Amino acid sequence: MARLNPWRWPVLGLAGLYFLTPLAASVVFTLDVPGQGVTFDAYTQIFSTDGFGSSLLLSLELAVATIAVVLLLTVPAMVALRLGAPRLRPVVEVVCSLPLVVPPIAFVAGIGTVLKWGPEHLSRTPLFQTLVAIQNPGFPVVLVLAYVVMALPFVFRALDAGLRSVDVPTLVEAARSCGAGRRQALVRVVLPNLRGALLNASFLTLALVLGEFTVAQLLGFQPFAVWIVNVSGAQAQLSVAVSVLSLLVTWALLLVLAGFGGRTRTASRG
Amino acid sequence: MTVLDNTATTPEPATEAATVEFRRLRREFGPTVALDGLDLTVRPGELLALLGPSGCGKTTALRMLAGFEHPDSGEVLVDGDDVTRVPAHRRDAGMVFQSYSLFPHLDALDNVAFGLRMRKVRTAQRRSRAAELLDLVGLADKGARFPHQLSGGQQQRVALARALALRPRVLLLDEPLSALDAKVRLTLREEIRRLQQELGITTLFVTHDQEEALSMADRVAVMRAGRLEQCAAPAELYGRPATAFVAGFVGTTSRIPGRLDGASVEVLGRRLPVDGRIPAGAEVDVLVRPESVRVRAEDDGHARVVATSFLGAAVRITVRLADGAEVKADLPAHEAAELTAGAAVDVSLPDRPVLVTERTS
Amino acid sequence: MTSTAVRVDVASAAEVRRRRRSLGGLAVVPLLAFTALAFGLPAVAMLDGAFTVRDPASGATSYTAGNLTASLRGAYLTALLGSVKLSAVSAGLAALLGLPLAQAVVTSRRRALREAVLTASGVLANFGGVPLAFAFVATLGNAGVLTRRFGLTDQGWDLYSFWGLVIVYLYFLIPLTVLTLTPALEGLRTQWREAAQNNGATPVQYWRHVALPVLLPSLLGALVLLFGSAFAAYATAAAMVGSSVPLVTLQIADALSGNVLVGQENVALALSLDMVLVAGLVMAVYLPLQRRSARWLA
Repeated sequence: MARLNPWRWPVLGLAGLYFLTPLAASVVFTLDVPGQGVTFDAYTQIFSTDGFGSSLLLSLELAVATIAVVLLLTVPAMVALRLGAPRLRPVVEVVCSLPLVVPPIAFVAGIGTVLKWGPEHLSRTPLFQTLVAIQNPGFPVVLVLAYVVMALPFVFRALDAGLRSVDVPTLVEAARSCGAGRRQALVRVVLPNLRGALLNASFLTLALVLGEFTVAQLLGFQPFAVWIVNVSGAQAQLSVAVSVLSLLVTWALLLVLAGFGGRTRTASRG
Repeated sequence: MTVLDNTATTPEPATEAATVEFRRLRREFGPTVALDGLDLTVRPGELLALLGPSGCGKTTALRMLAGFEHPDSGEVLVDGDDVTRVPAHRRDAGMVFQSYSLFPHLDALDNVAFGLRMRKVRTAQRRSRAAELLDLVGLADKGARFPHQLSGGQQQRVALARALALRPRVLLLDEPLSALDAKVRLTLREEIRRLQQELGITTLFVTHDQEEALSMADRVAVMRAGRLEQCAAPAELYGRPATAFVAGFVGTTSRIPGRLDGASVEVLGRRLPVDGRIPAGAEVDVLVRPESVRVRAEDDGHARVVATSFLGAAVRITVRLADGAEVKADLPAHEAAELTAGAAVDVSLPDRPVLVTERTS
Repeated sequence: MTSTAVRVDVASAAEVRRRRRSLGGLAVVPLLAFTALAFGLPAVAMLDGAFTVRDPASGATSYTAGNLTASLRGAYLTALLGSVKLSAVSAGLAALLGLPLAQAVVTSRRRALREAVLTASGVLANFGGVPLAFAFVATLGNAGVLTRRFGLTDQGWDLYSFWGLVIVYLYFLIPLTVLTLTPALEGLRTQWREAAQNNGATPVQYWRHVALPVLLPSLLGALVLLFGSAFAAYATAAAMVGSSVPLVTLQIADALSGNVLVGQENVALALSLDMVLVAGLVMAVYLPLQRRSARWLA
């Protein structure tokens, strides 16, 4: 049915204008500095600026750790729910959705309180050492804990959607009737069929950790997003340049992922 | 499921049953030709079934009458008026869709009353009219139910009532039964037919189910690749198919090789008059229905039974002839008892005119 | 002999089933334990802290509702109301503007356009925060490109005002609208449009009487989700230093880092509790709506 929607192009055009203008203006802002003319300094400086490498590295390390932990926690649990314990499903669903009700700022307020218990009540116990250890600025484990909690709702939804489209019990039974052991069935059959969902969950987590600011800033750590803000006071052009770059890179990565997902979907459809 | 109670409401006869004409309709979707010059006339008050394999253009034709599709060329006429350019919401043709067409946020009564609401009919009036229509389709007590609370069959009854609410001049049914269970399908089939006859409304019914078409329609139009193959009453269509395609598509047909000789054909050792068009070549296939093929156990017969399948009153026997052609025959169950796979048999045809076509293989 | 074999089989089948169930239970344990520790503990600490007051002299603590009352008074109340107002206005505008955009994307037959817009929405909706703030500072801030080029400051423009923040918030709220409404719009069946037309409805009547009522639960659901998202946002506002709009997230951050007054941590926790209550309310409205729209549009 060839329906012409004359209103569609104006709508898309206006949206494009609104969403592209800040990006374009940011690029102009970083290239055309008042008093200096057109200059690429903002971009060339990025790598030499103090803290860029270390903060980006910290963010990436945090992201990898968070993805690993959150998948290790959720994947076995959710596959098990499909296989043998469907009655626990509502419990897990509620538990995984609860973090949505607690805004990050409220969550970090709670974390801060718990961390303060250390010096106040636990200073003589081994727990104190643990609390100190997880706040090591080189690799703050406490941020991984917080990010895993914050990623849970998204990861749960992504995996749930993936598991919905796969008949896990039948797959496992089919694999076992072909002589595969339980572990082989999971690793060789179930996980490959969840590839799209796992990628999706990983990417949502990656985006969340790379962009996260609230928790890290209020607990006094300096991953990437916090660094951008800290550096902005002195070097406005630089912080805008990094912002634009990070937005574009995330978008590109997500597009690649979407391409992946699309291809696997068509492939599985035959 | 309630059976229609005809005494409860006397359905008002349609104001004036309409004639529908399709004239040289043509429509292409990219590289595929959906309609390739369709010419068809629907007589006032008849139920005409559009039958054909998927992709033959039958749904496109129906949707053109409803105004959802527009022809590249050709025209659609209702009572002689060209409606090709009339927008869908002013077409005056009630349509029942395949499935899931009820508005999910409205109960059955409001679904039926929807069109009246669009026409700004007063609330009380449209509710009583809608209740009347629900009664007509046997759902008088289900008015307050929402679509998701109704069974598939009930949903289609509501859809039918909704299609009739504006007293359309034409009723369009787009495979309305194909999503239903076999049993519901049968009862609803009868009810649609009865309702249509009572209202005397000109009706187009799209289906790919030949049994449905033959049992319900006054006339059946068989379509293939965007063209009309044959339009005739069910008995004629079955008994005297105009083309090999119709013969193959409607009912079961077997092909037996024969040799054309003037206006008669030599087949299975006999000479039979040819019915209908005579092909050019001498090598032809004779088209036969399973009930007109006779199979007899014969120890020195050249044909062999290949398979049998029990159909209840009859047994369908597949026989391979000496030259390799396979023929299907229906025999009463008691006659077929000894004809198991491998049995030697003799195959013959009754002394009646037969349909022939060019040899395909 | 055979009967024993059968009995053994039956027993082992039951055994397998039981083992499978307990295995299933076991696999869930780490997840639940982790959440109890990493989420439950801070949540309890927040709850506890929100009702605790510490006597500065003796260091002894006691339970009180004073923090909560304090959090609903004066500057804190202003901030809470400011957050609610900003979130409500931006959410409403985002829904209003996002709906046509989502519809344009859904009805587009170009897969590349759809894919690009949806992916971009995913990025902007989740990754907004800091980069977003800076992009807007560079565009419409006091030294921003557009501000300078068009002399907007002289015309009374101020990015750090209420409407400035609304414009910035829309940048991640509209994509969020597109993401949440797309499935609902895709659930609108062509048959409904055609059935409506067939019953004499004009396109306007179709939207007024069919599409919008069917979409209503999804729209309301999206609205509360947008509200919650705007309400919880902190990074954007924090990165736009110098903003004069009072927001509850900024107040909590100030109180936590002792920027305002020492000893306000407990009030910050009470404010956090206020936020959780608002967010919980939002969820309580959202979930039933979501369920209804899922039933209609499945």
